[in-house]
This record gives sequence, C-alpha cells and structure tokens, in this order.
Amino acid sequence: MELADRIERYRAILDEWLRGFYHGLISHPAYEKIEKEAEDAEDAFMLACFPDAFGIPSPVSYYTAELLPYLEDEFEAWERRLWDRGTLLERKGQQYHF
Amino acid sequence: MEPFVFFGGKGGVGKTTVSCAYGLRCARDGLRTLVVSTDPAHSVTDVFDQPFDDTPQPVEGIEGLDAMQLDPEDEVIRHLDEIRQDLSEQVSAAMVNEINRQLEMAHGTPGAYESALFDRFVDVMRDSDEYDRVVFDTAPSGSTLRLLGLPELLEQWIDRLMYKRRTSIDLFEKAAIGKNEPRRVMEGDPVLARLEGRKAFFEYAGTALREDAAFFLVLNPDELSLNETERSIEEFQEKDLAVRGLIANKLTPEPDPDENGRGARYLRERVKTESAHLETIRETFEPPLVAEIGWRVAEVKGDLLSDVAEELEIETSVEAPTSV
Repeated sequence: MELADRIERYRAILDEWLRGFYHGLISHPAYEKIEKEAEDAEDAFMLACFPDAFGIPSPVSYYTAELLPYLEDEFEAWERRLWDRGTLLERKGQQYHF
Repeated sequence: MEPFVFFGGKGGVGKTTVSCAYGLRCARDGLRTLVVSTDPAHSVTDVFDQPFDDTPQPVEGIEGLDAMQLDPEDEVIRHLDEIRQDLSEQVSAAMVNEINRQLEMAHGTPGAYESALFDRFVDVMRDSDEYDRVVFDTAPSGSTLRLLGLPELLEQWIDRLMYKRRTSIDLFEKAAIGKNEPRRVMEGDPVLARLEGRKAFFEYAGTALREDAAFFLVLNPDELSLNETERSIEEFQEKDLAVRGLIANKLTPEPDPDENGRGARYLRERVKTESAHLETIRETFEPPLVAEIGWRVAEVKGDLLSDVAEELEIETSVEAPTSV
C-alpha cells in the first residue's frame, strides 16, 4: 500500500471520528433540544384540541375531532409521551443525559 | 329587513307557529321563503300537516314556501360518520380503535348537539342563494342562543390552535438540519388546512349573524316567560346582536261585557294580569312589541295560520345580504 493511500485512509477515519464527536457533543443535543421543544409544543396543541381526554369539556372538541384522522402519528406519540412523562422537571432534565 | 330571520324564546311559547306564520306571510308577499326548524318534536310537520326532513321541500298549497326540519341527533351522527369515513381512509387499523374512543368522547361532550345545529344553520345560510328569506325556528334552549354569539370566540380558539400547530411544525423543521427529513412539514399540512377551513366557516357565520340576521323573541304574557326574555335580551346585547322585536303569543281573549259567569270572571282576571305584563314589556323592555297574538281554540294550522300571519306586524321586505 502506498503511503498516500494510508494517509488518505487515516484522514477518512479521523474525519468520521471528528464528525461523530462534533455531532455527539454539539449538534445532536441541539437537534434533540429543538425536537423536544417541538414535541412539547405539539403536546400543547393536542391538549388544546382534546382536553376532554382529561375530563375537561371543551366547546371546540366537536370541531377538533375532525382533525383526528390526520393526527394519527401525533396522537400515538402524544399518548406515549404522556405515559412516559413523570413530571415536567423530568422531561426537561432528559436533555442533560446524566 | 335582513334575509335571515331568527325566532327564539322559551320552550312552548309558540316559536314554531310564529315562524311558520311569518314564513307564510313572506311567501304571500312574493318572496321565495324557507322555514328551518330545529324542533325535535317536528312541529312544522304538524303546522303544515305534511312531513318534512332535512332537505327543503315545498309546502303544499302555498306558493313560494319551502320548509325543512333538522334533528340535532341525526346531525351529530352524520358528523361522526363523516369523520369515521376519513378515519378509515387515513389511519392504520391498529390506531382506529384508539382514535375512535377519543372521537366518541368528543361527540359525547355537552354542546355537541348545539355545535351540530349551528353547523347546519350556517350551511343553510351559505346555500340559501335561491331564497329571498330564510326563517329559523331555533331550538328552545339557552345554549342555542349562546351558540349564535359563539363564532367570534371560536374564531379566536381556532386562531390559537393554528398558532400552536405552526409553532410545533416550525420547530420540527428546524430540528431537521442537514439531510434529515423533518417529522412534520408546514407545506400542505392537512391539520392546518382543516383549521383554516373551519376558521373561514366561523368568519362567515359571524358576519352573516351580525349583519344579515334579525332576531325576534317570542314570549307568553306570564312572569316566567317575561324573566327569561329579559335575560335573553341581555345575552343578545352582550353578543352585539340586537333583538329587533318581541312577539307576545297566547293572549287570553276578553269576554263580552255582559257576560258574568264563572268563566267570564276568570277570563277577565286573567286578561287583567296579562295586560299588566304587557304594560311592563312596553315600558321597560327595549325591543318593541311587534305582535300580539291571541289564544286559538284549535291548533294553529291552515286558515288559522293565515290569521296569525295577519297579526304579525313584522315587515317582510328583503335587503340584499352583505356577506356572501
């Protein structure tokens, strides 16, 4: 194997490692934070749409029920997150990966 | 006067009779008229001696008059079925049950009936091009009335929901940096599109009710009815909807002066209390008393309906609608 090839290989590995390191350290937590925030916003939306799921009657749930066929993923994820969530503190704490 | 005329009031005061009589009068004056009733007791059927359902049908023997009857229960079921249809097209079988539960809950909430009725009212107003006048005989409940004032509130609700939805989609798009596919996209989001459509619907309802509708309250000359009417007038005012006039129905006839039997004495007493109530209405209530209709011996239908129609001092001429 030529020296040039070996250098090339090391550089590729180094590059991948660096990218992974950067991703793990900086960009992944950043995406995750934004995504969590997005999920929280979505939860607020779902709660505003279907408060009767918690026994709170809403004047608009008759209308928001029309959205249900288009909210399959959201609905499932919403339920899952609600089961999974102990407290708001826990949810906010998840981003720190203790 | 406005193309849409609503008659409201306590249960049993004779809203349906008055609505039908007014419809008859409008039709006689050469207006294409539709009477819409939400009375589950199907009183329009009784008044015209002819069955009606939820599509406009010509009233036999009266030129230019159509009538229809809405059943809130049917409307709720229809709405439910529509969503179920969407559901089976969009959603995987595993989730259908889960979502169905939520759906049934939403349709069991108090107010579902009113929402269903409101929807149909607005639909009828929207598709009323072929009619010059649409007369609504509203359901005898306070919540129907409240619903008429609701479009603005609902619009704000929908606005807030849309804002929330946009925020979350926006964040999902931001979270998908680089080559990642965002979990939700703003463009063509069916949920936003639906909400948008609802918003337009409420906007239309709001303008139509504020600018193209006149409201009349039917009452009987007794204390309960008076109190309820007073409350209704206040409620309407709070919603910026003006009550155009009051109609006193079922007034007791006065006996001839030479009669003095037990029945005559009773009637005289009754008339005295009633005129006191009518006096209160004239003096303290803001909307004018536009008609005083006496008790009829028989059920009001046929010729009697014409008589009642004559007694209604409500104009029939129509202004062009401002909301289209």
